Amino acid sequence: MKAIGWVRRLTPFDRKLLVVVAVLVVLSFLLPLTQKAGARVVVSSDNRIIFVAPLDKDQRVELDGPLGITVLQIKDGGARIVSSPCPQKVCIHMGEARHAGDLLACVPNQLVISVEGNEKGEDTEYDFISR
Amino acid sequence: MTSSAVDSLELEQVRRRVFLALFVALAVALHTVEVLLPNPLPWFRIGLANILALTALFSYGIQALWVVSIARILIGSLLLGSLFSPGFLLSLGGGLAANTLMSVGYKLWQNKIGPVGVSVLGAIGHVTGQLLIAWLVVIRHPSIWMLLPFFLLFALISGIVNGLAADYLLASLYKHPAFTGLKKKQDVSNNVAHLER
Repeated sequence: MKAIGWVRRLTPFDRKLLVVVAVLVVLSFLLPLTQKAGARVVVSSDNRIIFVAPLDKDQRVELDGPLGITVLQIKDGGARIVSSPCPQKVCIHMGEARHAGDLLACVPNQLVISVEGNEKGEDTEYDFISR
Repeated sequence: MTSSAVDSLELEQVRRRVFLALFVALAVALHTVEVLLPNPLPWFRIGLANILALTALFSYGIQALWVVSIARILIGSLLLGSLFSPGFLLSLGGGLAANTLMSVGYKLWQNKIGPVGVSVLGAIGHVTGQLLIAWLVVIRHPSIWMLLPFFLLFALISGIVNGLAADYLLASLYKHPAFTGLKKKQDVSNNVAHLER
């Protein structure tokens, strides 16, 4: 009973307000569900796109950067960096990118790996990629 | 309790000034202590300094709330050496959003809302303002909003804790002779406002 003693210090209005806010907080946990699944992974280095692949096809890709080869793994609709020649390995610890807008970056090796969705505007649709 | 030679209005003003200065000093101290506390996650702060802002709000009104919290943010970050750094911007953005929500909530439901209600509004405003600034200034990436639910949950808890602390502080302050006149005045004005409605 002692644990709810503090409720008695609230005004009746405060109690109602708390319930409303608590409901809003619970609802806000549904927010990540609105994220769209990514459709493809786009790798750019030095502002140039060097690699594009769909997320639904499992594969391992070796990406060339100034420091050496960074290995990107695409598996079960997600992309993660599994090995990299950079000193801190921050990119490996960034984990998996699977939603539209997610980003992986290896700054020392100058690689930016972004996941894009399908529904985005036409300007992000690449109809031709040259390497 | 007071010498009759002093004009009571002037006495009230001097008291207000002295207590606001004390509130600011205590808020700065709490702000600094809180930064020194070990913290599992960089952005999760209880916001103990807000206890004093709430106390100022409930004893001297909305203007006092803004004085205490803005002065606390400026002096606090000056002491910690983070003035005008990104961290300061986060602090300021959070503070402004929190103050706005607290002022609106206090004004809107003046006779019904208590320290806990205002505190929770402030905490929610603080995290939202901080995330907004973080998104605008530090990380321009929509994924940052995925942190919002966790921030809101933490804000709800810390808001309740701070509000209760402010409530206890106000209850014991009102027992002091320097605040009794104030409490009475507020009750009277509240009653008048209530009658006018």
